Formats: sequence, structure tokens, C-alpha cells
Amino acid sequence: MYEELLEDVAQANGLREVNTYIKLVVGLGAILLCLVSTSYVAPLFIAVLLSGAIIILARIDARTYVELFIVPFWFAAMSVIVIILLTGGSEVYWSWAPLPWLSLSITRESLNEGIFVFCRVIGGMSALIFIALTTPMTDLFIVMRRCRIPEAVVDLAMMIYRTIFMIMHLLVQTYQAQVMRLGYSSFRESIESFATLCGSVFIASWDAGEDLVRAMDARCYAGKFAILGETGPVNIPSLAAAGLFLLVSLCIVIITKNIVAI
Amino acid sequence: MSSIILEARDIRYRYPRGMEAIRGISFHIRKGEKIALVGPNGAGKSTLMLMFNGMIRPESGIILFDNEPVSYDRESLRKLRKRVGFVLQNPDRQIIAPTVYQDIAFGPVNLGYSEQSVKEAVTGALRYVGLEGFERRPPHLLSGGEKKRVAIAGVLAMDPDVLVFDEPTSGLDPSGSEDIMELLDELHHQGKTIIISTHDIELAYPWADRAILLLEGQILQEAIPDVAFGRPKYVRQAHLSMPILLDLYFELEKRGYSLPEKKPRTVLDMLHVIDCAFQKTPCCHASPGTISVFDVDVSPHDSLPGWLASHPGVSIGAMGTRAKQHAADNRISLDFTYGVIDKCILRAVIGESSLILTSTGMVRRVEQRVLEFDKVSSIRVPVRLLDPENTVEKQDNPVDPFPGC
Repeated sequence: MYEELLEDVAQANGLREVNTYIKLVVGLGAILLCLVSTSYVAPLFIAVLLSGAIIILARIDARTYVELFIVPFWFAAMSVIVIILLTGGSEVYWSWAPLPWLSLSITRESLNEGIFVFCRVIGGMSALIFIALTTPMTDLFIVMRRCRIPEAVVDLAMMIYRTIFMIMHLLVQTYQAQVMRLGYSSFRESIESFATLCGSVFIASWDAGEDLVRAMDARCYAGKFAILGETGPVNIPSLAAAGLFLLVSLCIVIITKNIVAI
Repeated sequence: MSSIILEARDIRYRYPRGMEAIRGISFHIRKGEKIALVGPNGAGKSTLMLMFNGMIRPESGIILFDNEPVSYDRESLRKLRKRVGFVLQNPDRQIIAPTVYQDIAFGPVNLGYSEQSVKEAVTGALRYVGLEGFERRPPHLLSGGEKKRVAIAGVLAMDPDVLVFDEPTSGLDPSGSEDIMELLDELHHQGKTIIISTHDIELAYPWADRAILLLEGQILQEAIPDVAFGRPKYVRQAHLSMPILLDLYFELEKRGYSLPEKKPRTVLDMLHVIDCAFQKTPCCHASPGTISVFDVDVSPHDSLPGWLASHPGVSIGAMGTRAKQHAADNRISLDFTYGVIDKCILRAVIGESSLILTSTGMVRRVEQRVLEFDKVSSIRVPVRLLDPENTVEKQDNPVDPFPGC
């Protein structure tokens, strides 16, 4: 219940003031390059560079980053093992057929395929985490509106965003109050405590919702939600760095298109 | 006397299926007054306050704003709410938007201001509450005091004439409460009418022009603070306690000391009372210390360090958000942040000099307060305005000393 929130990390990151669009172009561009690349080199390059950017430029705690990465990492690793074992090929290193209809083998082709998929996944993941850790939701709202997403959707998203943290706060408070009075001490007790927690937070959030309407009314609500703040200006160093990164990555994609691992 | 801005005539209100919360209340509030609504929990303070901006409609009786009965159609309510700003007790319930900037812009945007004037209103309000640079922060990462300031800024951005605060200091640390009370003082100085509800007698007593004691949906008493809080019977009935200075005053009186008529509202007043009681001239020093005033709005910012270096050992106080901001920016450590003028006069009486950082609007107030003090005591405290060029120190305050008691 005391985990740090991704959003809070993003709010305090070192690249906060960099223009949101530049960060988004870097992240989305990197994902696209990972997808079009036909070799494992470019995705690996992207993963290393973006991880460096996250830890050094955005000054995200390395442990936070590793913890965030570890879940998709294991997921990718397990999927890749299956890919390696199931993909066929001509140059067989090892094979085993435990059942008549199932044969497992490791071949040159399957290993290449496995490494390629794995690098692609971590490349894409690092790009996604780059966006998540450097661009807080509050900045994304600005982009959402610029992208002509209907106003009602953006307004609703903003209110939901604000409410999430309020409800979370309520949840933590109620949970702590329960634990202090020895809730969750046995299985039966846990179920009961959890039910009360849900109930009381539901009622509290209902109340908060009514208060929200009142607060908006008290401030002359006329169907308009606040205009958005500004994103940081486009400055030359960040633009150059982003352009250089994408250009180099693109060159690597082209140069290494026929390179395979083994 | 200034005109009446808010008036209630025999208003009553009953919550659905509940007991009567407001049972026949009539009062009026004049422009530029500082009103404290005081009473125990459940006395109807919040309900009454919610009527000031039309959030609750009384069942009977009328509320007049600017001598016009409040009407409850959508458009009139919007107009009323633009002029009567309401700050809720819990800022979390008041802050709507995901960033500070958006939240403060909420009112102005809905009033249909242009983008440029919204920006100006927000920047002005943020500057006022001393939260410049917080524009893009999400509210859930702010401290309690900062959230309160955001809530206040959100209301100030609409530039209301009347500001209603429900428990402005609840949940804040003492220094945070003092900052908020000073902010209210500053707003009052700009000509706003301010109404607060509070349990904190010690803060309300020196601050308010008039106190309204509420009990069980009725007005128990409505008077200047020394009278409202000075009757033990009423104070007990309203589940309050008497302000400590007033208590002390009455105890001294009971012991038979002859005291000045005016009840003490601050420590400075109290010391005067004590001096009178024991027939002692307050100043045991040959000459009182000087109070220097530095106007952060006009004086060049780099002139202060030099002055401070040449006047070591001076106590420094800051009045107002901008002055405090200035002190923080220049790493000046402050000795006083609340009740600054009184504290500086107290220093002056014992022969120590002090410096007050303040903004242009408040300079006159320093002079007034010192003048007042000079009149009742026989001391003449010199006040100097540090000149923008900082070369000539202008001597102000030409008063003849005259004995008080």
C-alpha cells in the first residue's frame, strides 16, 4: 500500500520540462523502428540507449526502472523459450520428442528467431517505459486535446485522473484503519474486512463525487473544463538529440537488415 | 460607515428528514468587514455559509446580496457565485482539475474570460498566495497548506467581492494557520469582505472586526470580539473558551488593578494593560529602537543585503506573501512572520531595532499601527522607510508623544 506510483515518478523526472511532443515522437518512433527492423541489432541498440536516457537524463532511480522492467522481461523470456523450442529449422542442435505429436528442438533458425523477438520486445518495452516515466498524464491531456479527441472525453479523463488519487487516498486510510484494529488477521476476517473496505470506499467516493459537482457549481461551472497549461517549449538541444537518436536508429535498421545472431 | 453587502432576514432551513439547522437568523454584513462565525460543531455554521453563495436555499426568509434578494435561477446564481467566493474546509474536495494551473483557471474559463485574461488571472492568483512555479504540479502531490492555498487561489482568480472561508485553518500547522490568517488580512486590506467560520478563538479574536456566535441554528450573540468572547456565560454556552488575553485582562481587573478601557487584542495591547496596571513606564531604555520598512515592490532587490550587512543584529519580519517570497528568494532568515508590526514595536520598546519587509499596500499600515501605539503609550517609535536608492533614510511619523493612562 505504500508503493510509489508511476505517475508520481513521472511528475518528478529530469525530462519533465522537455516538450511533450518530442518525447512522444522519440518513444513512438522507437517502437515503430523496433517493429520494422529485421535484425536484432537495432532493437537492442534502442533498448540500451533509451534505458540510458531513462536512468541518466530523466534521473529515474535505477532500481525503480529495473523493477518496472522485470515483469515484462520474464514474460518475454518465457515466450521466447517457447518460440525457440517450437520453431523448426534445418540446422538442428538438439531435439527431443516426448510424445508422438510433440517434438521440441533447438535449431539455428529458432535461436535466431528467439533472439530477434526477445530484443524486439525489450526495445519496445524500453520505449514504452520511456514515455511512461518521462511524460506524466497531465501532459498527455494536452496532447489528447490537440489530437482532436472529443472534449467530453478529455474532460472526463481529467476528472477521473483527479479522482483516482482521491479514492486511492481514501483506500489507504481505510485499509490502515482496518489493519490497526486487526482486520485481515485470519482468512475469514480478511474477506469481511475486504468487503467493508469496498463498501466504505464506495460510499466515500460517492460522497466525493457529489462534493465535486458542488465544488464545480460553486465556481460557476458552465460546461467548460479548464483550458490546458502549456507544455515545455521546443528547444534546439532536445530536438537535435531526438532527431539524432531516431536517425541513427534508422540507419542501424537499414545497415543491419540482414544480420542474424548466429 | 460602508454599505451593507450581505444581509439575512429571518432565514430558516431544515435538512431533509432532519432537524432544523437554521432557526430564524437575521444579520447584516458591511463591505470590507472581517467577520468570524463561531460556534460548536453542528451549530449550523457551514449550512449558513453555504447560503451566502446560493448553494443552499433557505426554506423561509430571504438573503440579500448588495441589497437585492438572491434569486435562484441559473444565471443569477452564476453572477452571485462570481462575487461571493467560497473556500471549502477540505481543499481536496474543492480542487477539481489535474494540475494547479487548470484548477485555478477553472473559474475564469467558465466565466468566459479570454485565454489571455485567464492566464493573467491565474498568474495573479498564484502570485498572491505565493505558489509561483506550481502551475504544472498535480494537486495530490502538494502538502495540506499548499492545497489550501491552491483552493484559495482558485477562488481569488474569479476576483470576488466577498470571500467565505469554512474553517480556513483546520488541519494546518500553527505556522501554516498564521500564514493563512495573514493572507486573509492582506485580502481584507485590498477591500474584500471576509467571512470565516472557525473554532480557533485565539486566531479569530485579534483578527475579526465582528464575531457572530452561533448555537443550535440561532445567533447567540453578535458583537465586536471583546464583547462577543468576553462574556463567560455565552462563551461556555457556545462550547468555546475565552481568549487567553481577555481572560488575563478580566483576572487583573478582578484583583482591583485599574486598567485602560480598551480590551487587549494582541500581546502588545496586553503589555500596555500590564504597564498601566502596575503604573510603570514601559521603556526602561534610553531610546526606543527604530523600525525600518523595506518595500519589496519598489526598492531594488540588491540593495537589501548591503543594508543588512551594515545593521547586524536587527530582527527581521516579513508581512504579506510577496515579502515572504522575497525573503525566501534572497535567503533572508525571518524572525517574525505573523503579527509582524506588533512584534517589531515590542522590540523597539526594549531598545532593539527591526526591519519589516512588505509590499507597497502595507507600508501605510505599519505607520498607522505605530501611530496608534504612540498615542496610547508615551513612547515614540521611529519608523523609517528605506529609500529605493538606499542612501537617504527618510524619517517618518511626526507624532507628539502623549500619555495613555
